[in-house]
Amino acid sequence: MATERMFPKAIASLEEVFNHLDAFYAAEAIETGAAMSLSLVVEELFTNLVKYNTASRNPILVKLGRENGKVRIELVDHDVDRFDPATLPDVDVNAPMSERTPGGLGLHLVRAIVDHISFEYENRVMRIVVVKNLERGDV
Amino acid sequence: MFDIRRAEDGTVKLVGRFDAAQVEARRADFDAITSSCVLDLAELDYVSSAGLGVLFATLKRLTESGGALKLINLKPHIRELFQIAGFDRIFAIE
Repeated sequence: MATERMFPKAIASLEEVFNHLDAFYAAEAIETGAAMSLSLVVEELFTNLVKYNTASRNPILVKLGRENGKVRIELVDHDVDRFDPATLPDVDVNAPMSERTPGGLGLHLVRAIVDHISFEYENRVMRIVVVKNLERGDV
Repeated sequence: MFDIRRAEDGTVKLVGRFDAAQVEARRADFDAITSSCVLDLAELDYVSSAGLGVLFATLKRLTESGGALKLINLKPHIRELFQIAGFDRIFAIE
């Protein structure tokens, strides 16, 4: 099954995004642990687009699909300036509390959860694709 | 849905999904924690980096004022997130 839907570019859209994801999990009989991980991935990527791709307020397209035991998620943001999340500073998870700040964890968590992530930018369209193998038993 | 409940013994329970949409609405609840506290996460189903950031900021603020924050009853997938974030070495977790 593949499904897609546009969401207003706002943090307040998250509830509707989660509802859309929950319907996909139910249709695909995706177990709770994997569903939580996938929801976290989508939230982190979606909120990054809201926070950093501020050139336009066009809605964000979220595409979900499952094939051969893998879930593929794509987020598409139209008419935006180039933004490369890879340029965001990576968080040092081994640093002591005194040297850590509350932010910067999102992309670190996403990279730990998914098996593949790619960022593409062409004709002012940003496309993020992640793939998670559901047969991996971890987060 | 996300909720914060204070039990009679002073323990603070986090319930539901603590996502980015909840952070601003609930920041004052965490700011109201001004002394050492135990957070019971038994009913916390979901937390993202936004929620983790609020928990970390609360821990840091309490620690700097001589207090402490302890987390109890983490579900396995929440505990794993804390490990990925390196927070298992920063928070007191039971």
